[in-house]
Amino acid sequence: MSTAESGRSGADVRIVPTGGCYDCGGKCVLKVHVKDGVAIRVDTDDGEEPQLRACAKGRAMRRQVYAPDRLLYPQKRVGPRGEGRFERVSWDEALDRVASELSRVKAAFGAEAIVAMTLSGASGSLHSGNMTLRRLLKSFGGYSSSWGDVSGQGALFSSRATYGTLTNGNSRDDLMNSRLIILWGFNPATSIWSTNTIFHITQAKEAGARIVVVDPRFTNTAAVLADEWIPIRPGTDTAMMAAMAYVMVSENIHDRAFLERYTVGFEKYEDYVLGREDGLAKTPQWAEAKTGVPAEVIASLARQYANLRPGALIVGMAPGRVAYGEQFHRAASTLAAMTGNVGVHGGNAAGFERTAVVPMIPEAFTKFFEGGSYEAQRKRLDAPGRNRIQPHGSRIWDAILEGKAGGYPADYKLAYIAFNNPLNQFVNTNKGVQALHKLEFIVVHEQFMTATARFADILLPVTTVWERNDFVRPWMGGPYFICQNKVIEPPGEARSDVDICRELARRLNVSDPFFDLTEEEMIRQMVEAMQDVTPEIGDYEKFKREGSHKIKRPEPQVSFKKQIDDPENNPFPTVTGKIEIFSQLVADLDYPDLPPIPKHLDAWEGPEDPLAKRFPLQLVTYHHRVRAHSCFGNNPWLNRLEPQSLWLNSRDAKSRGVGNGQMVRVFNDRGETIVPAAVSERIMPGVVALGEGAWYRPDEKGRDRGGCPNVLTRNDCSPGGAFPYNGCLVQVERFAEEG
Amino acid sequence: MQLGFYFDQNRCTGCDACTVACKDLHAENLFEEPADWRWVVELESGAYPHPSVHYIALSCLHCAQPSCIEACPAGAIEKRAQDGIVVVHREQCLGRDVCGAPCREACPYDAVRFGPEPDARMQKCDFCLGRWEDGQLPVCVTACPMRALDAGDIEELRRKYGDDKEMPGFEHSEANRPSLVVKARKSI
Repeated sequence: MSTAESGRSGADVRIVPTGGCYDCGGKCVLKVHVKDGVAIRVDTDDGEEPQLRACAKGRAMRRQVYAPDRLLYPQKRVGPRGEGRFERVSWDEALDRVASELSRVKAAFGAEAIVAMTLSGASGSLHSGNMTLRRLLKSFGGYSSSWGDVSGQGALFSSRATYGTLTNGNSRDDLMNSRLIILWGFNPATSIWSTNTIFHITQAKEAGARIVVVDPRFTNTAAVLADEWIPIRPGTDTAMMAAMAYVMVSENIHDRAFLERYTVGFEKYEDYVLGREDGLAKTPQWAEAKTGVPAEVIASLARQYANLRPGALIVGMAPGRVAYGEQFHRAASTLAAMTGNVGVHGGNAAGFERTAVVPMIPEAFTKFFEGGSYEAQRKRLDAPGRNRIQPHGSRIWDAILEGKAGGYPADYKLAYIAFNNPLNQFVNTNKGVQALHKLEFIVVHEQFMTATARFADILLPVTTVWERNDFVRPWMGGPYFICQNKVIEPPGEARSDVDICRELARRLNVSDPFFDLTEEEMIRQMVEAMQDVTPEIGDYEKFKREGSHKIKRPEPQVSFKKQIDDPENNPFPTVTGKIEIFSQLVADLDYPDLPPIPKHLDAWEGPEDPLAKRFPLQLVTYHHRVRAHSCFGNNPWLNRLEPQSLWLNSRDAKSRGVGNGQMVRVFNDRGETIVPAAVSERIMPGVVALGEGAWYRPDEKGRDRGGCPNVLTRNDCSPGGAFPYNGCLVQVERFAEEG
Repeated sequence: MQLGFYFDQNRCTGCDACTVACKDLHAENLFEEPADWRWVVELESGAYPHPSVHYIALSCLHCAQPSCIEACPAGAIEKRAQDGIVVVHREQCLGRDVCGAPCREACPYDAVRFGPEPDARMQKCDFCLGRWEDGQLPVCVTACPMRALDAGDIEELRRKYGDDKEMPGFEHSEANRPSLVVKARKSI
């Protein structure tokens, strides 16, 4: 390229708007320049502010879709399962085999022997588990699956119990009204968590808001924005919150009028924090011993939150991904109520964060997730009860290995895996290896040879977002939709998940007229069926042309504003019509480790677990900035920016004789991984961190060399259903290669 | 006129969107180890529990007095009279292995880069000249999710953002006079 042409696309270039690469917390605009059918460069939103600007991952999409390791042809396994030896076959042969295996297993064992493992990996609205594979299998006669939101089941539990709804977030532009912003286990500089979130927080800071970050790691968010960083031991956040409540009550700085008017059960929480219930006052000194946070720091944050109003406590879902994770989210919402920060501009309900306009869960679907009869609501909170009907996602490997004999609802024979890399991303990878070996047949849709793909019997190559049409919503924020226009033709013989399911529908003789539609017709039907979409995207052609549809609102969206402004006419959608600090629904479940008020419980694989004698370090598995879960994990443009390494405090490194960059072995009874150490002052002593999504790469001895944290995580769930990705004890030692 | 960059150190989160956007636009080959025309430096100091981390996003700074030009034995580097952009005529560059790349030694800001290929010729930021001539800002500026970068006539940037030249981790070279306006990190 000559200098004069630098940055120019030149003539005969088509600019195709798309966006939303994978299951990332940001859903951003990409404008792809296409010449002669080839994507030659990527631009982002250059329209009206606030623009939806893509991060490094979106900008690396060409290196993703044109990667030399893309899967191009259907393949069948030829060597032992998991070894990764495959042979190219025709689509007909591959699909016939999948159809015949599905029919065989259904006839021999019943449809429940088929387990559909779909997640949100490479999905859009149409190209998703629910609209393709699960829809197909439902028509075919049914399937088994696991339950639980891998990311935020603790937050779901809490928002249902406390607010009766998942719609309890504010639009991010409302942060301009906050005097204090507390980011608790929340790192939007990296996890994005709705495009522009970090930018809105920055603007709030520049306008004078004070920013406090509570996190065992000094994250990029903390580095740039925090006026105060409070490192805390994972799994102990609820104790710190109880102590903050203790300080507020003792100093009478909580908002008693708010609590009286809008909440139920505060007196029971007060009894708990003051020690009237169990004789143990939840003082800052008590919490210091558990959390590692100095008592005066805890007291100070309590005073800041009570006095610097309005204040927005934004809780990430990471602190809730521990043994009793739901308690953390319940305690956070309780503090928000104690400080009168619910339903007001500049505050935040500290809940699940779904905002009212265009979030990932469409309004029309929320009835499946919240509300209904008392019994329906109680059942939704009953994790042990749900486990009897369907295995929790953390126990899916156990369910496959043990089946009915182990108390699980079915004997599983066939796994159909799409939009998902469960071996890499579900807890306890090594157990997953055993489970995948036990199955009779495995089919996987993939773009790349992931850990899971290696275990396929039939491996089907699928398109990326650039090779199909779809549309997508942001996670929680917005409000906007992105039209994912097809940019280029699929490479090789890759096909879309929709096409594959359509072909299988024919082979299996299932009658679902949806599969007779073209991709375009399917999308139009979905757009018309979604009540929040239809009025916004009335002109579908315009939406396709422009690539995004941004919805303007006259002022920032605040959840529960009408409940606060006019409570007589607007009860909270809970059983009592109030914010339920005490939940009768939870009390009725009557599980000892699922208390009806938020309580700190000493976590298994937390700092006080006796197991800490052998494995003294707490592992957190954070969202890494160069990956969207395991997607992009093989993208060299991104990996070179921050290669996978273990964050280790200099004191823990010194006591183990580990220098920066040296290889270490991270291990516990479940597995081991060998990675370079990043010796740092940015992490709390006693805590180590490995970014999630790094690709599992076992060596000849079965030791992971990819830095995949799930070889270490525990296959168990909290009583409220939270996954324990951050509740995991390990040991670290120097590693030297043998001879 | 002298074109230059503006960088707000209070906003940069080290996300590397600029780095990768630059690569997407300028990398000639998707599959080779790319040379960074723009990159982000992470600087860590202090001890737990009071660490300090800040970032500097850098590129060629199109110095008023570029030392790379004098260093080049082939006269392959030129400072454009009309806008002060420093460009390299790669067809004139002798290649790193022939001349030993004295341009790289001469640059105080590590902006002179070479690809991994044998006898690589020099490459670096050219201010996205084609975009600029079409009335568009360099791609790094429009990529930044934090709106921490700007570019344009250095005099205008100074009027808009002030005349600060230094920030933690970055020293102004009076000999080179880089075309950069900064907003230095406020200590917090």
